[in-house]
Amino acid sequence: MNRNYIYLTFLILILSAGVFFLPERNNEKFLNPEDLMWDIMNPSRFITTDNIAQMIIEKDPTLELIDVRSVDEYNDFTLQGAINIPLDSLCAEGYQDYLGIEDMNAVFFSNDDIKADQAWVIARRLGFGSIYVLKGGLNCWINTIIIPKMPVETASSEAFEQYNFRKGASMYFTGAEISSDNAGEKSSVKVTRKKKKAVAEGGC
Amino acid sequence: MHIHELNPKKTVIALVLFAVVILFGLLTVVNPRLKYTQTPEETIEMVVWEEGTVFPYELVDVLDGSIDTVLLIDLRNNFEYGKGHIQDAENISSVDLLKDENIDRLKQLKEDGIAVVVYGKNQLEANGPWMVLRQLGFDNVKILLGGYSYYTKWGNNLGDSYADDAYFLGGADHDFAEVASTNFSDDETSNTKAKVTFSRKKKAVVAEGGC
Repeated sequence: MNRNYIYLTFLILILSAGVFFLPERNNEKFLNPEDLMWDIMNPSRFITTDNIAQMIIEKDPTLELIDVRSVDEYNDFTLQGAINIPLDSLCAEGYQDYLGIEDMNAVFFSNDDIKADQAWVIARRLGFGSIYVLKGGLNCWINTIIIPKMPVETASSEAFEQYNFRKGASMYFTGAEISSDNAGEKSSVKVTRKKKKAVAEGGC
Repeated sequence: MHIHELNPKKTVIALVLFAVVILFGLLTVVNPRLKYTQTPEETIEMVVWEEGTVFPYELVDVLDGSIDTVLLIDLRNNFEYGKGHIQDAENISSVDLLKDENIDRLKQLKEDGIAVVVYGKNQLEANGPWMVLRQLGFDNVKILLGGYSYYTKWGNNLGDSYADDAYFLGGADHDFAEVASTNFSDDETSNTKAKVTFSRKKKAVVAEGGC
């Protein structure tokens, strides 16, 4: 009678040994292809340069800018407060710690939006949420925020409002660099004052 | 307890139940319909080296029929497709791409050694679907750089279009560091203008108070 229990025990032990032969599956949080496709169809991942400018100026604490260009390009120029995760290191050790931080909205950007979108697809597949893509990338950033074009006279008042905001933002972003580069000790004061000015310009 | 031990059938029943549960578990192991065959690392390598892309001028041979192992798939919606599409292209809109019949079709095409070139309005529109298909193991799927808009721009002269590299994205249009600091260099050259910067700042303070 007790022998039956012994058999049973051995059977369970043998079966449990099967666990060792299971394929390694650390992809539990991977998004399945159908859901990934669904998210790709959804254009809400794109954020405009105006939105980003506003968020930077307002020092939105939830904004996390991620530059997916190469280290050299990043060192040459990047957006304020951006961190660098080159596209080819997205899966490298340590870099993914910057993604999936609670309450943070990570925004990928590159020269235009292709590379950033590719980074987005990969990160989304890896299961990261709250990730976005800067529509148009840095090219669009320069063309809209840094060197805004004056709308034609017949344009809507919204277009002019947007233009005014962009002018202010342009001053903020190009002017802020003066203070940080020029007068080291006064820099922080200058930056904050200018920030308020830009906000006031956009808001009032 | 003693009665239980005296009844060997109970052990047998337990054994059978156990085996049934195990079998049931094995049979119902989730076998997803679609599985990634590419690891994220491989996907990164693919996009970094820009594999699986088709230049617009490469289409010329396809369009004049000298290469017949290529199938063009238009990923835009049916309405857009109806308004105009690349010659001989089939329409499978992105939302329907992962439906059973289309997956079967793609598998068949892969077996037959047919290269599939997908395109959208622009490269960005086809980028996601293309990456998904690639990750699912359809390595015969390529993306048309420039998309439909570049194609319509060149139309019948597509063969001459290699000089126009507007389809080639990913580059910088400006020297960002220089452009973004235009004001900086202006102010830098004439130190007297530094005063202007100060007066501006005063205004900023006024605005601050006003609002």
